[in-house]
Amino acid sequence: MNTWGVIVILAGLAAATGAFVYLALKLNGSGPKGKKQTSGNTYIDAAEQDVEHIFNDEFREELRNRGRLHFEKIIGENAMFLQQDLRLTTSQLNEYLKSEITRKLQEEFVKYEESITDAKELAIESLTKTQQAIEQQRKMMGQQLAQEIANEKTRVVKRFEDNMADIINHYVLAAVGNQIDLNDQLEYILSELEENKKDIVEDITHGS
Amino acid sequence: MAADTATQSTSQMVLPMNVVTRSDVGRLVREAEAVDNFLRQVGVRQPGTSLQLPKTSRLYDEMVAINKLNMLQEQDRLTLHQLLQAIRTDAPVLHMSFSTDPSPLFLQKLMTWLRQNIHPLVLLQVGLLPNIGAGCVVRTNNKYFDFSLHQRFIDTRPMLISKLHGAAVVDPTGGVAVPAETAV
Repeated sequence: MNTWGVIVILAGLAAATGAFVYLALKLNGSGPKGKKQTSGNTYIDAAEQDVEHIFNDEFREELRNRGRLHFEKIIGENAMFLQQDLRLTTSQLNEYLKSEITRKLQEEFVKYEESITDAKELAIESLTKTQQAIEQQRKMMGQQLAQEIANEKTRVVKRFEDNMADIINHYVLAAVGNQIDLNDQLEYILSELEENKKDIVEDITHGS
Repeated sequence: MAADTATQSTSQMVLPMNVVTRSDVGRLVREAEAVDNFLRQVGVRQPGTSLQLPKTSRLYDEMVAINKLNMLQEQDRLTLHQLLQAIRTDAPVLHMSFSTDPSPLFLQKLMTWLRQNIHPLVLLQVGLLPNIGAGCVVRTNNKYFDFSLHQRFIDTRPMLISKLHGAAVVDPTGGVAVPAETAV
């Protein structure tokens, strides 16, 4: 039980006490005043004695018991009302908390989804840019590679063509070099000399 | 000009075909000097002194025989010596390099052609160039003639390249396709 429950119980007790005092004063004030007006001080004294006679200790104890029972009844009813209010408040509070928590959670979920969506879009955009850059780089590298291959091919072909005479000569030497006799070459050598005979004679005759 | 001088002074001289190099001529000069010295010594020798005949080579004997010289005649000996000296110093020399060492028979045939077509007193200096494959390389005083197989390949390289480009058609799969006209 919280502070409000205690306050409500104390307020009920104070109200019951006030009501009891009010009834006692009202009963005490209405009876003797009429007799005083009609019979004088004798009646007043007799009334006082009757009062003492009527409101003896047993009667007072009876009134006290009835007041206590009434007070307990009121207290019980108030406690029951308080308990009902408390249950109602608790249930409302639970509903409120549920709705608030649900609402907050939904808001957070919405924000979370928005954040995820933004992050996803950002990631997709970044991936797209990266993919485009990679694709561009791949194309560029492919072109460079193709150019390099073409250059290398040209270089190799040129080197092969430049050194073709050496290659074939080396191949011929390795293949049939030992089988070529100088005597077999004499006719070829003489024919070559015959073709250049004029230059040779010229150089021998007029050369220094 | 020196060759002309040698030709004029040795117009009647015939060199054997076996005399190929300048060293051969130098050897003939030394033999001629030896024979001349021997015969001079014979003329002034005292009776009873032992004589040792100089040994002459087959080349020298051939040289004397071809030129119909009498070595007992001092004038012939002097003429031979002077002419050999003139040949050694003034005769034209051809430098010829071959892939292998030429045989004497080969050199003889070659010298025969050279002396009939180039110069009657031409000498030869033989070199060795194993990388030329076949043929020879001729070098005169001022010119260089490459009659080798290597140079032949270089000269015919455009034809070989064109043949290669025509014969080897590269197909898209990376293989070498044979042209239709050469395919069986």
